[in-house]
Parts: sequence; structure tokens; C-alpha cells
Amino acid sequence: MFNIISIIFKYVFIIIFYLFILSVIRLIYLDIRGIHPTSLDNTSYFKLINRKDSLPFKVKEYYPLDDEILLGRDNNNQIVIKDPYISKRHLKIVKDEGDYYLEDFNSANGTYLNGDKIMDVVRLENGDRIRVGQVEFLFVNKE
Amino acid sequence: MFNRKINYRLPRNFLFIFELMSLFLLFIYYRHDLDKFTIFSGLMLVFIVYISNFMLLRISTGDNFIFLIVTMLVSIGGIMIYRIDSTLGMKQIFWIGLGIILFFITYFLIKKIKGWENWFLIYVISSILLFILTLILGSRVKGAVNWISIGGISIQPSEIIKIATIFTISSYYTNYDKFKKMKFGSYYLIGIMYLFTLFLFLQKDLGSVLIFSAIFLCLQFIYEENRKLVLLNILILSVSAVIGYFIFPHVMSRVEIWLNPWKTIDTKGYQITQSLFAIAEGGFFGTGLGLGHPEFIPEAHTDFIFSAICEEMGIFTGIGIIILFLILVYRGFKISIKQRNEFFRIVALGISILFGIQSFIIFGGVLKMIPLTGITIPFVSYGGSSMLSSFIALGILQVASEELDFEEE
Repeated sequence: MFNIISIIFKYVFIIIFYLFILSVIRLIYLDIRGIHPTSLDNTSYFKLINRKDSLPFKVKEYYPLDDEILLGRDNNNQIVIKDPYISKRHLKIVKDEGDYYLEDFNSANGTYLNGDKIMDVVRLENGDRIRVGQVEFLFVNKE
Repeated sequence: MFNRKINYRLPRNFLFIFELMSLFLLFIYYRHDLDKFTIFSGLMLVFIVYISNFMLLRISTGDNFIFLIVTMLVSIGGIMIYRIDSTLGMKQIFWIGLGIILFFITYFLIKKIKGWENWFLIYVISSILLFILTLILGSRVKGAVNWISIGGISIQPSEIIKIATIFTISSYYTNYDKFKKMKFGSYYLIGIMYLFTLFLFLQKDLGSVLIFSAIFLCLQFIYEENRKLVLLNILILSVSAVIGYFIFPHVMSRVEIWLNPWKTIDTKGYQITQSLFAIAEGGFFGTGLGLGHPEFIPEAHTDFIFSAICEEMGIFTGIGIIILFLILVYRGFKISIKQRNEFFRIVALGISILFGIQSFIIFGGVLKMIPLTGITIPFVSYGGSSMLSSFIALGILQVASEELDFEEE
């Protein structure tokens, strides 16, 4: 009786063991991919200027920009930053004919472009510094 | 985000199922002499492992994989030891539980106390004191004086000195500029390390000599600015290895056994040949737990546990264990690369080298790839000191995996 169970279990053990290893490897793969964005070759992106460890919340070093991107504290945004000084829906970046435009949604603490508070929609130039809450980004345009 | 949270649960659950199934199997195996205490402690351990993995995800912002991998290794080791000898298995379960508790204590202590990089002298002096203590109080076990027993508890101080040594080297290279200004500053570390090695030679603990030298050589190779010292170190090590071969008959016979164990199969070569027979007997999937004969291998629960695992659980499990060690060491290197605090960067590297080199030596030894040196596989083999010190090292690695910003910028 024991022999049969043991023989069946030995196959099950190896299967579970390898599933364990595979799931760990998969998680590590996801972890590595999360650090380096898949490709920054032809997309424009935001680069974090602050030292990452000086901020008490999770923020990435790079945020690639698509055609339309929302930034805010809420989980429905494409860029989610849990900074208490950032509004739930803070700002929007829209791509139009190769140019990127930034629009602030009347956020409580505002958005600053190169030190000036944004009132209306502005066009972003390569090398602009955007400050939202405690976070400061550098805009890099690859178009 | 959502997807990721679910995924973290997956390996944890696999581990949980694996442990429960193996406990079930072992309880059937030992069904004639099973008491409530054994069942209770087995289930307790499974529970502790699950809860610790769960809690660590909440407590630590750092690496989530190293503890998961290590608990898997610990479970396989514990299962195998319990199957070979139920009393040793019970002790091992106790050591694992204590090790996990120590892991968390180390984690909080290392994180709480600041200034680890400034206590170079304390590490050196305490290591030397421990060495002297070993020489005075030590008892001889299997040709090496590396055990001291206080009040019925035997401990192996070299296991603790390993970690102290990593701290010594790290604090030296963190404060490298300060030491360089002193007279003969760059020779301090090399002098201290050779003193340590001398002590280990006096204890005839050649496995530890190998580990200490390897850690020192790797870290020196990476951080030493005076490249001549690295060359000098390699030269001294290779010359002393050759001299050691001729001085110690112990070493000579080990190499002889490695070259041809079949000549002395009934005496000196018995252990290694039994190990090879066991691995061959197991095949790809093993004989099944409880159906092999690991008791034919001497020391099956410590040095040769890898052969016992290969026999009963198959070569596939053996390969899997090696893969897990590879991932563990890889994570250690990655932690080291990511860490910005210089001291913990070197410590993380040192600890990954420690795990890597230790498992390499013993896996190579039992598979007859390199001459056998009797050391334990970290986390898998039976042994209190080894288990506890490995968990302490893991706790330090866990701290190093977090972003430590107490260094002024």
C-alpha cells in the first residue's frame, strides 16, 4: 500500500517542484521586465529626476508615453503615483501630430513646467522639466 | 498590478501543497511509531513557513524570492532527513523553526542598528576570540577541531565567523580611503585574512579554508585597487594549496579517492562509491520516498544528503535543487548591483558568494567532479549551526535587498 502511494507521489512531487521553480522564474522575469521598460528606442518618455529612494512611495525611473496618458493617484490612470500631493486625476498628456501636449485637470497643487505653474494646455519641448507633487520628471521627445 | 498579486500566491501555494503531501507520506511511512507531538510539530512548521512567506511580502519592500526559494530547500532537506532518521528529523524541524525566527530577528536588528560599516575592529577581534576559543575548548570530530560544546549544546564557531569575515571585508572596503592613508593600510586586510586562514589550518578544517579563501579572493578581485595584491593572493593560495597537498595526508588521500575510488572501495572510497551507486539507482524519477536505501551511504543526512535526495526523489529533484541555488545566487548578485549603500552592497555579494561556493563544493564533491570536502549544503543538510548561520546570512541579504537611504548623499 505504502509503496504504491510513494511511487505515485514521487511523480507528483517532481511536477509540483518544477511548477514551483517555473513560477518563481516567471515572477523574476516579470520583476526584471518591470525595471527596464521593454524598449525606449522610438517612444518618448518621462524620466524621473528625483532620487528614487528619496520618495516614500513607489515610482518608476522611466514612463514611456503613448498617445494619451493620464497621471494621478487613482488606479485608473496609466501612470499611478501614490503621492499625497498629487490629485486623483492630475494631468493628461496627449500626442497630436508628433507633438505632446500637457493638460492639468485643475489639480489641487498644480503642475509646474520648468518652474512655472501651468494654467492652460501647454506644448512640451524636449528637455522640459515637469513637477507634479513631490515628483519631478524630465520629458524626452524621441519623435 | 492585480495580475502580479495573484502570481505571488502561486509558488507559495505549490510549496504548501508539496509540504503537506510529503508530511502525509512520511506519516504513513512512520505509522507504527507516530505520536501527537511529531504530527503537531510537522504541521506547525508547514504553517510557520506559509505565514512567514506571507508576512515577509507585507513587511519587507525588498526581494520576495530568496526566502521563498530557501523555504523550499529547507522543506526538501527536512523531509529527507526525517525519512532517514526520525529523531534527527525532529531536531531538524526544531532548527528550521529556530532559523526562521532568527531570520526575522536578524532582519529587524540589522535594519534598526545603523553604522555596521564602522565596526571593523569589533568584527576582527570577535572573530579572533572565537577562533582562540575553538582551539582551547574544541573537540575533534572527524579529523577537524571545529566544535565547541557548552552545556550540552555543540556549536561550530566557524559558521558564525564566516559571516563576521564577510562583515570585516565589507567594512574594510567601505572605508578603503581611510585605510589607504595609514601606513601599510592596504596590507591590513590581507594580513587579517591570512591569520584567519592560519587558525583554520590549525583546526584542520580544510573545507572552511576553501570557503574563506574563495570569498576573500572574489571580493578582493572586485574591490581591490592595488591589483598586485590580487596577484600576490592568488599566488600564495596556489602555492599553499600545493604545499597543503604534500603536508596533510588527509588532503592527499582525498585527491586519491577522487581520482580512483574503485581501488579502495572497501575502505576509503566506500562513501563516495555508495553515493554514486545511490544516484545511479535513483534514475530520473527516483525510487520513491521510503523505498530506497539511503542508509547505505555513510553521513547521508549531512554531507551526502544530495545523493540521498537523488536516490529517493530522482535526478530531476537534484537538478531542481541546483537550479534553486543558481536562482538564489543570481538574486544575491542582483541585490548587490541594485543596492546603493556601499557596505551592504559588498555584504550582499559576499553572502551570495558564500552560498554559491559552499553548494558548488559539496555538489561537486558528492558527484565526484572535484575532490570531496566535508561541508554542509546550506539550508538542506542536517546541522544546527549551519542552518542558523545560513538563516542569519539570509536575513542580512533580505535587508540588503531593500533600498537603504540612511546613507547621506
